[in-house]
Amino acid sequence: MSEQDTTSRTSPVGRRTFLRAATAAGGAVVISGAAGAPWASGATLNAHRVYVLVIDGCRPDEITKASTPNLHALRAGGRWYPNARSMPIAETIPNHVMMMTGVRPDRSGVPANSIYDPALKDVRTCGEPTDIVFPTVLERLKSKGITTGTVLSKDYLFSVFGTRATYRWEPFPLLPVTNHALDVFTMNALRTMIKTSDPNLVFANFGDIDRFGHSDLTGGSLQVLRRTALASTDAQIGQFVKFLKDRGTWQRSTIVVLADHSMDWSNPDDLISLTKSFAGTSIEGKFAIADNGGADVLTYVGAASGKTAAMAEARKLALATKGVLEVRTTAELRLGQKAGDLVVYCKSGYRFSDPDFYSNPIPGNHGHPATEMIPFFIAGGAVKPAVLSQRAATIDVAPTIGKIFGLTAPSGGYDGAARI
Amino acid sequence: MSYFRHGVASGDPLPTAVVLWTRVTPTASATPGSGKGSTVSVAYVVATDAGFTKVVKKGSVTTGPSLDHTVKVDVTGLKPATTYYYRFTYAKTSTRTGITKTAPAAGAAIGRMRFGVVSCANYEAGYFSAYRHLNAQKVDVVLHLGDYIYEYGTGEYGMGQGNTVVRKTDPPHEIVKLSDYRRRHAIYKTDPDLQELHRTVPFITTWDDHESANDAYTTGAENHTPENEGSWAARRAAAYRAYDEWMPVRLAGTAKVGDGSQIYRRLTFGALAELSMLDLRSYRNAPGGTFTQVPNADQTTRTIAGAEQLGWLEQGLVTASSQWKLVGNPVMIAPVLVPPLPNDLRDAIEDYEGLLPAEGVAYNSDQWDGYTVERRRVLEFLADQGITDTIFLTGDIHSAWACDLPKNPGTYPLTTTVATELVCASVTSNNLKDIIGAPPRTASIAVETAIKTANRHVKYLDFDSHGFSVLDLTPERARMDWYVISDRADKNATAKLSASYAVPASRQAVEVAS
Repeated sequence: MSEQDTTSRTSPVGRRTFLRAATAAGGAVVISGAAGAPWASGATLNAHRVYVLVIDGCRPDEITKASTPNLHALRAGGRWYPNARSMPIAETIPNHVMMMTGVRPDRSGVPANSIYDPALKDVRTCGEPTDIVFPTVLERLKSKGITTGTVLSKDYLFSVFGTRATYRWEPFPLLPVTNHALDVFTMNALRTMIKTSDPNLVFANFGDIDRFGHSDLTGGSLQVLRRTALASTDAQIGQFVKFLKDRGTWQRSTIVVLADHSMDWSNPDDLISLTKSFAGTSIEGKFAIADNGGADVLTYVGAASGKTAAMAEARKLALATKGVLEVRTTAELRLGQKAGDLVVYCKSGYRFSDPDFYSNPIPGNHGHPATEMIPFFIAGGAVKPAVLSQRAATIDVAPTIGKIFGLTAPSGGYDGAARI
Repeated sequence: MSYFRHGVASGDPLPTAVVLWTRVTPTASATPGSGKGSTVSVAYVVATDAGFTKVVKKGSVTTGPSLDHTVKVDVTGLKPATTYYYRFTYAKTSTRTGITKTAPAAGAAIGRMRFGVVSCANYEAGYFSAYRHLNAQKVDVVLHLGDYIYEYGTGEYGMGQGNTVVRKTDPPHEIVKLSDYRRRHAIYKTDPDLQELHRTVPFITTWDDHESANDAYTTGAENHTPENEGSWAARRAAAYRAYDEWMPVRLAGTAKVGDGSQIYRRLTFGALAELSMLDLRSYRNAPGGTFTQVPNADQTTRTIAGAEQLGWLEQGLVTASSQWKLVGNPVMIAPVLVPPLPNDLRDAIEDYEGLLPAEGVAYNSDQWDGYTVERRRVLEFLADQGITDTIFLTGDIHSAWACDLPKNPGTYPLTTTVATELVCASVTSNNLKDIIGAPPRTASIAVETAIKTANRHVKYLDFDSHGFSVLDLTPERARMDWYVISDRADKNATAKLSASYAVPASRQAVEVAS
């Protein structure tokens, strides 16, 4: 960073200050801060630094000494939970929200990426700041004078967490189609945020592996683009560790590395349309379907008197559809009302494409149980190596952060557990 | 006289309970299978020290001819992950002190467990040196994956091409009746190496076919002729009854003899592992087939495990909170496609475990290869549910294998694998070199190479050796060490480490262990 400029203006979400930093890599990083948040020396009250690095969509079996040497080394030196899982629904927004709240979607308010909104009478992305109805550690820490930051590569993640953190980076530049910032820009922003405001906690999402997994048309066999992305992201992680060591903050830093979900690939013709399965039956038009890749979220929209029969018929027709794995109720999965009534999962190697076969052209998908296994490890200067069998999960991140900073549990407690 | 001639044993360790076993011979005539002798009471005592100063449990068990004088007690109220010492007493005479250990508490963080893995111990084919050397490995538990006994008469299935009888079994004829099965179990339990292993380590066992008869299925067996040997149902009931009496196992969930024969069951070892022991004979609704009568392995009606057991297995796999999902799997699940081999070699080995059909057709139909619909169901279930760290531990095939289990073998290795399979060699039963009469590591190498070439998911294969395996389990990786013995005809055979393969956590792939 060669220069920086701090200005203050009113943003749509409240009064915030903006810092524009030119970077060695060229271009500029813009970070906003809550009103009154200091620049350059933000974290003075607590020496701990925690960086949650979400390697979006990374499969645990992809971390190997040969293909991802930096992640592998970080894992080998940290607390590794090989039995870790994403939580239903294995999508990006709900699992990021679970990480920051420590509670399941029936409490957090965010059950899926895509939901049916009865007020709109339409399917929408569950990515508004008001969708989260449970306090996140971002604002809970902030209220204790502990500074927090978000560096989120995807537009809808930036949106859903809003201004909860003390500092936030707006992902830029966004790639067309994928709507995410490349990891090289995200990492640049993370380093800039640390240099300029040094929050105690930074929550960062790296989207390349997920995005190139989704869009890799070489698909289920070669996955060339994805492997390239893995190597690239791994190099970024390696540089970040070096950055902390060069700054002399490694010893008091804790890095939580995990994925929000993993990835599964389907053949072009292995797709499922429940809209078509329901067409011409007694339940045609009775369900709104929110397509979440590997999970269709069904909301009954017919007359109340016919709901019981329609639910039974929907279950029957879904299970009779090739590629469908199982049908679960939203209550079973603790998803809350926003997820409607039923969740239909696909089998490994399939994907949903609703309403029609052109709606979801991408081969890489997640959301179904086949994509629930995730990498999860905690590294850092003071972390002793260990491998632990307990089933860690995305909801464990907030309790872990809370324990490090001495934050009490939220009202009603966490659904997850501290893993350090 | 010696009242306890068959040693002591323990098995099926739970966090707070374990099955203890012995057999009392109260009078000289009360020999196994004789139906003679009076009903007697045998006392037992369990302590936390070898000197029995800290006794935690004691009691007595009544036994008699109806139980073939076997004694089985499920000791409860114990502490998890604790070593216990026990002994039985009759007429002021005690057994040697047995040693056992309870399983870790549910959810407990466990850094390491070691499992002995064995199968296929044919008494007439040699000495059980593998059991002796396994005992030196300090394992927590022994998994016996079947063919604990063999049903043949003397000389029918011995050592090598000539069926050499290294030592005579009892009774001398093929076992058919309950008294026969009792006597056969008894002769095995007099083997000093097996006795000592039972005395010092708890066993978890399942049966394969030879506990009843070769290539058994629901309504028959290859080695059963109803015309001469009566109904299969009666024979199998006799086999299961003797097994229930003579093994430290809970059938139908209890140590009580005669209250059911369900042997498939699940045991857990803290957060580290969960073990599902399968029964692939009792619910197998069609024979595996022979070379001349190969069944249609893809028939949807063919079952090897049965819908109920498969559902139980799947439920366990998907709800397991433990990390490693171990499956005690009596016969191989990895697909084995065999290319055509040179005629002389193929002809010489075509009776070897049914592995090589005449023209290179692609399966051994007595394994899961003969029941492909159920295999596909299991492997797809693992993929569909995103279940990691599942390892099939297998016996039966008298050879050592390490395999990846791809969801779709046709696209391996370009697509991901869903589990792994580790297969132990036989304790003594004949393997390939024994059948073709070749020196070790000669003719078999050609076959091993051909099979590995045609089946790239097969990473390790040893057709020649006898011995035992040790599965060393940590949260970081599973590691299987194959130990081979020098000579099964030598009472004092030595053992050495032959190969080691590891399964790194969350990888579903085998690799050479460093």
